Amino acid sequence: MAVVSIDIIDPRLAGGDTAPPAPVGGPVGRRRWIGRIVPTLVLLLCAAFFIAPLLTLARYALQNVPTILLGWDTLFKKWSLKGLTLAFEDPAFWPALKLSLQLAVGTVLITLLLLVPTAIWVHLRVPKARSFIEFLTVLPYMIPPIALVAGIFVIKPYAKWFLNSDYSLIPFYVVLALPFTFRSIDAGLRAIDLRTLVDASRSLGGGWGTTLRRVLIPNLRTSMISASFLTAAVVIGEFTIADTLLKETLPRFQATFTGREPQAGYGLNLLALLVTIVLFVVLSLLTRPRKTPRRPFVPAATSAAVAAEKH
Amino acid sequence: MTTLSFQGIRKTFGPTVALENLHLDVRDGELIALLGPSGCGKTTALRIAAGFEFADTGAVQVGGTDISRTPAHKRNMGMVFQSYSLFPNLTVASNIDFGLRTRKIDKTERHRRVSEALELVQLTGMANRYPHQLSGGQQQRVALARALAVEPQVLLLDEPLSALDAKVRLTLRDEIRRIQTELGITTLFVTHDQEEALGISDRIGVMSNGRLEQLGTPTEVYRNPANAFVARFVGSMNEIPATVAGPGAVQVNGHTVATTTTDQSAGTAVTLLVRPEDLALASDAAGLPGTVTATTFQGATTVVTVRLDVLDSLVAVSTAGSHDANRAAGDRVGVHIDGTRALCESVG
Repeated sequence: MAVVSIDIIDPRLAGGDTAPPAPVGGPVGRRRWIGRIVPTLVLLLCAAFFIAPLLTLARYALQNVPTILLGWDTLFKKWSLKGLTLAFEDPAFWPALKLSLQLAVGTVLITLLLLVPTAIWVHLRVPKARSFIEFLTVLPYMIPPIALVAGIFVIKPYAKWFLNSDYSLIPFYVVLALPFTFRSIDAGLRAIDLRTLVDASRSLGGGWGTTLRRVLIPNLRTSMISASFLTAAVVIGEFTIADTLLKETLPRFQATFTGREPQAGYGLNLLALLVTIVLFVVLSLLTRPRKTPRRPFVPAATSAAVAAEKH
Repeated sequence: MTTLSFQGIRKTFGPTVALENLHLDVRDGELIALLGPSGCGKTTALRIAAGFEFADTGAVQVGGTDISRTPAHKRNMGMVFQSYSLFPNLTVASNIDFGLRTRKIDKTERHRRVSEALELVQLTGMANRYPHQLSGGQQQRVALARALAVEPQVLLLDEPLSALDAKVRLTLRDEIRRIQTELGITTLFVTHDQEEALGISDRIGVMSNGRLEQLGTPTEVYRNPANAFVARFVGSMNEIPATVAGPGAVQVNGHTVATTTTDQSAGTAVTLLVRPEDLALASDAAGLPGTVTATTFQGATTVVTVRLDVLDSLVAVSTAGSHDANRAAGDRVGVHIDGTRALCESVG
């Protein structure tokens, strides 16, 4: 009869007290130590890669020291928030910010109103067309905005009434944001069992309105919020089209303001970056899954339970 | 009284015929299982009943009322799906409450019905959990409670147990049957699992290629299959080459076997379809001689697999005898055929 011997490598598999603990300095211990230190190191390097430019930007924007004198000996000298606040004193800043925020809200609303039903319809009714729609939505990513601007010039003589309005930027921004928004919503739809959820809602008496409002939108919340933030980021950062159509948006203000006040201009850019970071933190907080209901359900004493209690 | 009736339903998807002239009546309070392989049309029939698909021709009636063109959300049906269909954003209680809210039932009544439904599926303590905090079996029980809370005319179950592990499947199957009997609700249950269909239903409809091949009680379908497809699909079946000897008799390698189902002319080559329990083991002097290749203990019965000498084919013999249970691979045996319930299928 053949005898099979098994070498137990993991001490936990040996069971009981008979298995000797793995030596701390042994190959297993060393491997674990490397396994912990390497990812931490990579993470720190990545953090440094992102944070270092922000710190130098902050120093340039917030320290009243000529660039040529910036060095270790002047590290703690003449810091001031003036670089951040100077833009607020410019009379053109608030209207530009207001317009950009209005455009962002308008673009987000129109994008969601157009894309959510379209993406749902494509997933449910024409799933084979999904890859084609995806290709279409990527086009604005491949075609530079300047090409879109050339198109605007072609239609400009016929659509002055439209292009004169500040809000005429919204349709262009909807197109520009498509690569981000469609992907985000599409990923959200793929993460849920859409057909079954729709069928379940309809079998329970829910029409399309109820199904959208009570089932689909809540379950697409994360992807819709992501899509909204990405759209807003595109709108608040877009320069080319706004400049072509001479609209006084925030990026256009930033460009002219940085020309006049370089230090404060970079301060404004830093502020915009910080606001974006705060927005993404808010986004991650908003999209956390709920663990306990807002209003807990307390089961009623049913007839069967009452009868059982009487006995 | 609530009956569900399919009358001459035909449904096609492009060139594919999913259902062909389906006639089926589910009686009041009855549970019918539609059984068949994948793509046989059973789920299409269920989806037509639910209103998710519309038939090309034919009618669907509930309690005598034609609902063929009524949209899904206006039919009073409860449905449990194969995949977990609970709304992930809602708690167990809110999931059950969903259908009641769409029906605009007042708050007190809704609260009472949700409590009752939770009690019915024995999940009262889980009311405030979210679907991701439940096991698969618990999720399907909530789905059942949600479907029943709206007090539907008909309950539709689309392979509700197929995603569950074997033990939970058995428990939930019994629970579905208990609740269905308790409430007396007319139910259509779709499955591809014959054991499930035999165990849960009042009647079984066996389907193949969009057609209803046989409708009958589990015993009828198992004991008297209407055709070779049903015989093969429901339960195990031995296929033994034979020749028709005359009216009511076939010859298997020189042995005459009496059978009631042959209508072919003498000399026709046929395949004799015999259940394992209609075969018996004897000494190799009697019956068809062969060699035991395997013995599988199945609790109350033992299945002995025998390779027949002359036909060079394997047959399974189900036996309850303790002597047969002790047969070992290599033992010489004789196989007796009881052909009274066998089917004869023409070859070619």
